[in-house]
Amino acid sequence: MSKQIVQPPKGRRAVVVAGLRTPFVKAFAEFLKMDTIALGDATVSALVAQTQLDARHIEAIVWGGVILPGLAPNVAREIALDLRLGAHVEGHTVTRACASGLQAITTAAAAIERGELDVAIAGGSDSTSNAELKLPQKVVHALAPLAFGKATPKDYLGVLAQLMPLSEVLPKMPKIAERTTGQVMGESAEDMANRNEISRGAQDEFAARSHHRAAAGIASGRLRREIAKVETPDGKTVTADTIVRADTSVERLAKLRPVFAKNGTLTAGNSSALTDGAAAVVLMSEERARSLGYTPLAFFRSWAYAGVDPADQLLMGPALAMPAALERAGLSLGEMDLVDMHEAFAAQVLSVLKMLGSAAFARARLGRDAAVGEVDPARLNIYGGSIALGHPFGATGARMVTTMANELRESDRRYALLGICAAGGLGAAAVLERAD
Amino acid sequence: MSDFLLENQAARKLIQTLGLPLPVPTRLRRAKGPQDERPLHDDDVVVGAAPGGALADVLARTLTIAGASAWVTTGELSAAFAGPGEAFGRPAHRLPEDGLPDGVRVRALVFDATGLGDPSELRALYDFFHPLVKRLLGCGRVVVIGRPPSSFESAAAAATHAGLEGFVRSLAKELGKRGSTAHVLFVEHGAEDRIEAPLRFLLSARSAFVSGQPVHVGKDVRAPEDGHGPWVRGLAGKIALVTGAARGIGEATAELLAAEGAHVVCLDRPADDALVSQVARRIGGSVLLADLGVPEATATIVEGLRSRHGGVDIVVHNAGITRDKTLAKMKPEAWDQAIEVNLASVVRITAALLEGTLQDGGRVVCLSSVAGIAGNMGQTNYGASKAGIVGYVRRLAKHTTSRGITVNAIAPGFIETRLTAAIPVVIREAGRRLSNLGQGGLPGDVGEAISFLAGPNAHGITGQVLRVCGGALIGA
Repeated sequence: MSKQIVQPPKGRRAVVVAGLRTPFVKAFAEFLKMDTIALGDATVSALVAQTQLDARHIEAIVWGGVILPGLAPNVAREIALDLRLGAHVEGHTVTRACASGLQAITTAAAAIERGELDVAIAGGSDSTSNAELKLPQKVVHALAPLAFGKATPKDYLGVLAQLMPLSEVLPKMPKIAERTTGQVMGESAEDMANRNEISRGAQDEFAARSHHRAAAGIASGRLRREIAKVETPDGKTVTADTIVRADTSVERLAKLRPVFAKNGTLTAGNSSALTDGAAAVVLMSEERARSLGYTPLAFFRSWAYAGVDPADQLLMGPALAMPAALERAGLSLGEMDLVDMHEAFAAQVLSVLKMLGSAAFARARLGRDAAVGEVDPARLNIYGGSIALGHPFGATGARMVTTMANELRESDRRYALLGICAAGGLGAAAVLERAD
Repeated sequence: MSDFLLENQAARKLIQTLGLPLPVPTRLRRAKGPQDERPLHDDDVVVGAAPGGALADVLARTLTIAGASAWVTTGELSAAFAGPGEAFGRPAHRLPEDGLPDGVRVRALVFDATGLGDPSELRALYDFFHPLVKRLLGCGRVVVIGRPPSSFESAAAAATHAGLEGFVRSLAKELGKRGSTAHVLFVEHGAEDRIEAPLRFLLSARSAFVSGQPVHVGKDVRAPEDGHGPWVRGLAGKIALVTGAARGIGEATAELLAAEGAHVVCLDRPADDALVSQVARRIGGSVLLADLGVPEATATIVEGLRSRHGGVDIVVHNAGITRDKTLAKMKPEAWDQAIEVNLASVVRITAALLEGTLQDGGRVVCLSSVAGIAGNMGQTNYGASKAGIVGYVRRLAKHTTSRGITVNAIAPGFIETRLTAAIPVVIREAGRRLSNLGQGGLPGDVGEAISFLAGPNAHGITGQVLRVCGGALIGA
């Protein structure tokens, strides 16, 4: 881990001026007919309209995604072209598993602070409903002679022969499994719950709180302002998140069966669900924001990415990335007014929180004498998180940045710490500071 | 018993399936690929200690970081394991009064005997192991840790700790049929932190064919200045010389050292150019051709290592020959060749390399032989050369401590190689069976032991002979 402390940028500063997302809906439901590009189109067009941003000022789109469309993986550029923002709006797409959205934003922020850009849109989207079924490589190779060149009847026979037995060539269902370990993410989280002694009760309690806080944020209208309504191709209008349950309770969650292990503690209720959706923010150099008449909401005091061994505790990355971001910001956890963590699984968040509060972890893994600190539940995920709201992989980062930037501005608080775990043993974190 | 039934895997499987009484040895659990960060990943290990044990903290740290889930027997151990357990998400369990819960079987049993002072206290061994030994999984591990008997003023204490060796050697014989092994570490005062590497090796699948081994862990070798070396790709940036690298143990060792990141200089006779070149190409190493039977080889090696690699960090003297004949019938050339290649050239080359070619912090590993040490019909020349190696590493090790260089010997037992394949089948099968594990080892088993001794954190081990023999019944 880097020991260097980065001072807040003195020269150019990238500021968040606005953010918006689509409703987050369960996979294979309302957004079934919208792929990740269409979802991106929906959120970016709404964001441009809401901010009355003149497309001539937009220089680039940086987009994050996990399930990228095979034939058009540069989603960022496709969005710019679809929306006719102008050929000058260049774009690139980044992927860092569940941290892809935050990656897109920090990439754009870095480009602005480097002087490469003044105005960019950054965000991400994912449509689990439109994940492409993968044909086994065996089929692809067998079919090659038919696809490229004049096939003779003998070729067809040869292809057929190569495709036997049939069970080996059927398309494989996509699943969230680690390539190196083959372990499904929920199994890894189950393992973490077990190893860090996170009880079922604690997980259900955390999940219930996520739902209640998200529901309260929606009911008060606070979150609603961050959600754009979306017209689907089949003529419906989607206006609200569909996963959040205001009426859930610890008792109800306690009745659900474990899904990843026979005597496990992880259930559909205390895990995030497969979700379709998109989110985006407008980033500008502070100077340009002010000259165009926008109010800067927040800027990045620091950010950090980290990796842990995916075969050990897959989703422990934030326990390294969050302290690293704090160290770079020259701030302590105690100085954070808000902490927002992506909730892949309640067990994962609680494991990370336990490590942040552990002096033994600090000594053994961070080389520090004292624990990073306890996170006050009153400051953590004040509007719930991915368990209640859903988790379109690439969109979560921009959702979190939007909610925290707005909150810093409106509640007159100063610092927010973000933490995101991601497949591959990755962790991401950032410290946002209110822009005065 | 025909050769077919003994060596044909399909035939063995069939006999096993039919439940016929052919004693088929346990298939040993072996490690695949290069060293892991956590060689004991998810392994259950019971850890016990006699009162006054000095190793609670280092055991807690070592086992937890290596990925083990510990069951501990004392409050002191519980306290020591709490911190690492929390940091690495491996909370230790307190072993219940009535032993392990039903159905729980464990990979390893570790006992810290450093606190023992009087023979009557050896009872602690019985009390700890007696109820647990049946709960050991197949290919399990037992490690007892004591102090070097010679380190005590008190003769009673010396007797107590010397007793540990007899205990594990006997236990190793009892456990061998199921592929399990038992070892004792004798740790000098002040060398406690150095038990990490030997523990990881002896408790993991990498020591599959090492059985009943005492290992002395000392503090004399200067520790590396850059502190603790990495467990994964621990030999990155190192230059290793392996003699006799064209085939067998040398080839397996070259592969393993290369997998740990070393650039391996593969040495063999000019006649084996094609074979050794293939090995070198496969592992991204280089070739050095020299005939160790002639004294000029020394200059060739020193010059080659200096000019092309700027020196060498690891030297594995693996090349060896047999020229068997009973003494009365032995020709003088047979005597000379065996002594020259197996011992004299090792002494000469090592001495030359120590003059500015072998880097500080280096590793020298010489191949001895269990058969050679024990003495074998028709091998007076070979036995003299291989026993000579033992004397050589014990003495030389004392001269190189201040430079951080370790010097050790490996004594292979029955290893399945070209040499042993040439032995008549009945003798061959007897050779395999006459060991705790009831089978022969593979060249890779020897390579793993060499790779362990060559590792950056193995500086606690020097002047030792590590037997890789499955616990041969005849021998050292």
